[in-house]
Amino acid sequence: MTAAVPAAPARRPRARRVPLALPGRLLRLELRRTIMPWILPLIVALFWLDGYHYAMSFPPFWGLRSPVLPDRAMVDFALFGAGASAWMGSRDGRSRTTDLLAITAVPRWGRQLVTWTATTGWAMAAYLGCVAVLYWSTARQGAWGGPPLWPVAVGAAGVAAGCALGFAAGAFFPSRFTAPLATLAVFILATAVKGGSGSTYGLISPVAPQGSFRPDSGLFFHYLPDLSIDQVLLLAGLAVAALGALGVPAASGGRWLRRSAAAVAAAGLVAAGTAIGLAGTARLEPYGVVIPALHDAASARPIPYTPVCGHAAIPVCLHPAYRAYLPAVTAALGPLLSEVTGLPGAPVRVVQVAYLNPTEFATGGAPTVAGRPALLRLPLGFAVLAQQTQTEFLLSRAAPVIVSSVIGGGPGAGPAQQAAEAGLLRAAGVQLAQLASMGSVYQPPAPGSPVYAAATRFAALPAAARHAWLLAHLAALRAGHITLEQLP
Amino acid sequence: MNVEIVDLTRRFGRTEAVAGVSLQAGPGVFGLLGPNGAGKTSLLRMLATVIQPSSGTLRLLGRDPGSYGPRREIRRRLGYLPQNLGYYPGFTVAEFVEYFALLKDMPPSRVPAAVATAVERTGLGDKARAKLRTLSGGMLRRAGIAQAIVNEPDLLLLDEPTAGLDPEQRVAFRALLRDLGERATVIVSTHLVEDVGAACTQVALMDAGKVVFYGTPAELTARADGTDAAGDAPLERGYSAVLAAVRS
Repeated sequence: MTAAVPAAPARRPRARRVPLALPGRLLRLELRRTIMPWILPLIVALFWLDGYHYAMSFPPFWGLRSPVLPDRAMVDFALFGAGASAWMGSRDGRSRTTDLLAITAVPRWGRQLVTWTATTGWAMAAYLGCVAVLYWSTARQGAWGGPPLWPVAVGAAGVAAGCALGFAAGAFFPSRFTAPLATLAVFILATAVKGGSGSTYGLISPVAPQGSFRPDSGLFFHYLPDLSIDQVLLLAGLAVAALGALGVPAASGGRWLRRSAAAVAAAGLVAAGTAIGLAGTARLEPYGVVIPALHDAASARPIPYTPVCGHAAIPVCLHPAYRAYLPAVTAALGPLLSEVTGLPGAPVRVVQVAYLNPTEFATGGAPTVAGRPALLRLPLGFAVLAQQTQTEFLLSRAAPVIVSSVIGGGPGAGPAQQAAEAGLLRAAGVQLAQLASMGSVYQPPAPGSPVYAAATRFAALPAAARHAWLLAHLAALRAGHITLEQLP
Repeated sequence: MNVEIVDLTRRFGRTEAVAGVSLQAGPGVFGLLGPNGAGKTSLLRMLATVIQPSSGTLRLLGRDPGSYGPRREIRRRLGYLPQNLGYYPGFTVAEFVEYFALLKDMPPSRVPAAVATAVERTGLGDKARAKLRTLSGGMLRRAGIAQAIVNEPDLLLLDEPTAGLDPEQRVAFRALLRDLGERATVIVSTHLVEDVGAACTQVALMDAGKVVFYGTPAELTARADGTDAAGDAPLERGYSAVLAAVRS
């Protein structure tokens, strides 16, 4: 130690830095020394193994991959962010620097906010980096439309809220055990809300299975951001409340500052409470969750698109996002469509339509033939198209409807109509016995019955002969004037 | 006067740690002596605005620290080394000192030079980039002193600053104290009377929460005259004589 004040030690000349204000310099210092960069590799690895691979297991649809983000942001980033933030929040208590810091001119609240910002900043940067990689990969695979940003916002708000709650826990209960306990508490909180997702209140959890988006969101209809807005309101409210609470204790600063902090905390709680209340008013609509107070009717408008069509006589037309599936769908329906081409009542085109509800998406929707000229409107999604048995599944749904539209079958159909239907289906390669197991409502004729025998006979005809007979006798067949014996 | 305290009291439950202390101190080095549990640390913590007095009047640097605004202004001009120095093990010496310089609201443009100066003055120039977790106890103490003096405080409060320092470092530290005392009020709490004798212009001796002696080191030494007080040095014998007289 020296009594005289020496000149500052000579240093290597450095590039001139842009001078930072006090908060900026504090932030720079905290960014260098926060614990978060040390655990980021673990978090990123976890996201890579868990979230990224899970998202990439879906076909490249924004509506399938982006909903993974809020869930994995909570599990991978917010949980560990809460732990790391709790560690940083408890730093002063653990390091016994409270006396030293108690006498500094900068209010404690301001100092804590800088520390939280540094910790959260690292977590947020890593999260956004992972989002960028996932979105870039999805875009490279030719996903149709633009990437949805609301799931990203919900995830970011989740990261901020997790870090804020953890930091506040650490600051109020400084102990080496606070970090793991905060991580556990955030995990339990998230999963508890997820577990209660049977009511619409449960929808508000970012890890709730029933998210804001439907698999076809962004394809036929715009994304409905209502629930995402509500989730951001909840998570941001929790973050603001936790950060505001840090400034309320007497040691946090002056009276004015503490009152401001209390107001901030109260505003955060009001926002979170409002979000929970709004979630209670939510209702499930075909294309997402609608919260009346947040709903913009413009969001529900269909998205215009030009379908991609095959070149068969009865072309199959799909949404351009499903372009890759066009050959498979055309091949699956082709034999049957060629049987009915040119017949009165046959559809002139097969068009893909959106599912009307999530159940339809999982089980396959009901196709219909309607309009003049008749169109086969076929609800299709990746759940059907990506499965191994897509041909059988498509036929089980579409074939009975197509044949029925031509022959005029149904509950009141006569024996000849039933036999002609079954014969056409068998001629197109449909396994009648398997239709019921595929979920079809079609009732095939019982083996050994006269209808079955006639159907077998009709199916055995050469395709051209069958087609010619139908052209000549279809009107009589539909009117019920043809008997089983008259069927060739 | 940078420090004016009148009838200052601080209670912790039923224990009266500081019992009606009145003192004044201007620029110079002021020694605070006393046995363990005498109330030195409690008095210093009140002067550092860490804790508030239970009763009495306290004015620091001409301001009342009871109000937030004046307290904040005092804190800008205050340096404090607590008895138990807490630190962030992952910070380097320079970062630790810079952190407190910024928290003391120093103009950011002045911080780098002030940090370099404080680190050099405490003899840690070659350890500026070393992590605090790698330092010895004496070096950590000096890092604590560096953060206390980085803002060139008008009021510097040091609680057992020489604990853990080797003899050479203590000699250098006393010289630093004398230099700081040229313009600032430096209050040093210690139970090492040789530090007081070497560096302080005024000394107060506390016992059981009260100031039982106030004067110069020479006057404290003179209290041993004509007594058989125990001690290896004249100042030590004066210290023992005062305590013996108070307790008798």
